[in-house]
Amino acid sequence: MNSLKINNISVKTEDKEILKDFSLEVNPGEIHVIMGPNGTGKSTLLNTIMGDSSYVITSGEIYYNDKLLNNLDTSDRANLGIFLGMQKPISLEGVSNADFLRTMVSSKEKENFNLMKFVKKLNEYQEKLKINKDMVSRSVNTGFSGGEIKKNEILEMYLLNPSLVMLDEIDSGLDVDSLKIVADNILDYYKESGCALLIITHYQKLLDYIKPTHVHIMKNGKIIKSGDSSLINDIEQLGYENLDTETNEI
Amino acid sequence: MKFEDLKRIKIVDDKVVDKEIDEGIEIEEIPRNMFFDVTVIKINISKDTTLKLEFSTRKATKLDVKITVKEGIHLNLMEYRFGKNFKVRYQYNLEKDSYTNIVKFYDVNGIKEMNMIFLNGENAKIDYNFKTISTGFEKYNLTIHHNAPKTISNICNNGVNINDGNLQFNVSSFGTLDNKGCIINQNSRIINLTNNKCGINPNLFIDEMDVEASHSALIGGFTKDEIFYLTSRGLSKKDAIMLLITGFLLNNTNELIAKKIKKNINKYWR
Repeated sequence: MNSLKINNISVKTEDKEILKDFSLEVNPGEIHVIMGPNGTGKSTLLNTIMGDSSYVITSGEIYYNDKLLNNLDTSDRANLGIFLGMQKPISLEGVSNADFLRTMVSSKEKENFNLMKFVKKLNEYQEKLKINKDMVSRSVNTGFSGGEIKKNEILEMYLLNPSLVMLDEIDSGLDVDSLKIVADNILDYYKESGCALLIITHYQKLLDYIKPTHVHIMKNGKIIKSGDSSLINDIEQLGYENLDTETNEI
Repeated sequence: MKFEDLKRIKIVDDKVVDKEIDEGIEIEEIPRNMFFDVTVIKINISKDTTLKLEFSTRKATKLDVKITVKEGIHLNLMEYRFGKNFKVRYQYNLEKDSYTNIVKFYDVNGIKEMNMIFLNGENAKIDYNFKTISTGFEKYNLTIHHNAPKTISNICNNGVNINDGNLQFNVSSFGTLDNKGCIINQNSRIINLTNNKCGINPNLFIDEMDVEASHSALIGGFTKDEIFYLTSRGLSKKDAIMLLITGFLLNNTNELIAKKIKKNINKYWR
C-alpha cells in the first residue's frame, strides 16, 4: 500500500532545528491538510519528504510504500510516485517548457515513452487547465503569471501520475477563477487516481473545494493538534494563538 | 528571422572558399604581405541581410575580419565556428540608424579573439549573443565603443567550461563624453563544470552622465534549487544538468544556430 509514514523525524538546516520529533501517516485516498503560522516548518516538511539536500534528517525515518526514503535521491523519490507542487517554483531561463515536460515524462516511462501519446495527453491536460498553448514553447516558469506557474505545476502532476501529491501553498498567487480551475483539477485527479493528498495552505477558500479528511495544526516544528475538517472553522474563528491554549500536543 | 533569404560566407583558415551573396554584400580580401602578417577580410553590408558565417581551420590561423553595416541597414549575422588554434580580430562598424544582431556559437579548442564594436552613428544598435563550449584555452576580449548619441549595446556572453577548458571573457564598454542617451548592457555567465580557473572582467568606462549602463558577471555551476526542481520531477542529476546546459546555450539564439548547438551538446553529453 502506498502509505507515507513519518516516524519521529527531526530536521535541521544550517544548524537550526526546524522539525522536532515529527510524526505523520498518510494513506491512499486520504486528504491531509497542514495549517499553521508562518515559519513553523510546513514547507520544510514537504521539502524533506522530497529529499531537498538543504534539509538534514538528524533522527527518525520516512517510509513510502515501506521503502526507507532517508538516503534516497530526490529523483528516486519522484519515481516512487511522490510529487511536490512547489510554493515558488523556480524559473529556468532558456529551458523550454516543452523540452522539460518531454524529458520529465520520458525519464519516468523510459523505453515505453511514446511521443504521440505524450503530445495527446499534454493537449488534453492543457485544455482542462485552460492553459494557453504557447506556454509550452516558453521557458519554464519564466515570465509566467502567478496563475500560469501554479497551473504548470498541476500540469506536471497530471503528466507524472503520482500516488502521493504534496502541494505547498498551491493557492497562493491565484485569482478566484484560477483557484477554482486548479482546485477542480486537483480534485479530479484525486478522484481518478485514488492518490493521497498532503496540502499546505493558509486559506480556507481552497478547502471549500477540496474537503480534507484530516486537518493538522503545526507549530514550532510539531503537530500540536489534529482533527477533521471542523478544525478549519475553529482556526478561522479563534486563530492559531488562541487555539494553541486549548489544545493537547500529540 | 527569415532564413529563406539567407546569405552565406565560408572561410577555411584565412581564405574565403565559398560564398552565396548578392549585391548587398561586398567582400574584399587583403592577403598577408610583407607589411601585414595577417589576412584581412572586409565585408560591407548595404542591404538588409541575414548572413551565415562558417569558419573552420586546419592549421594555426591569424585573421582580421572587418564588417561595416551601412546607414539604416539591418544585419542578422550568424556564425558557427569549429576547429582549433584561431587568432581572430573582429571589427564591427555600425553607421547611423543601423542595427546588427549577432548570434555566434563556437566549439573550438584554443582561441584568442578580439571583438571591437564601434557604434559610430546616432541610434546604432547591436545585440551580441555569444555561446561557446570551452574545452581548451579560450580568451575573448570585447570592446564596445559608443561613439555617437543614443547608441545601444546589449552584450551577452555565455560559456560552458568542460574537460581542459579555461575560459575568459574580458568585456569593456566605453560611453564617451557628450554622447548622451546611450544604453550599455553587459551580461556574462560561465558554467564551469571543471576545477579549472575561468574569469570574467566586466568593465564600464563611462564619461557621460546621461547614460544607462548595467553589467552582470557570474561564474559557477547550476544552483541547488534548479537541480532540486528538476530531480523532483524524476530527472536524474545528469539529465537535469544536460537540460539546464541546453537551455543556457539555446537562450537568445535562433533556429539555425540552435541546431548546431544541440548537435554539439549531444556530442559532449550523450
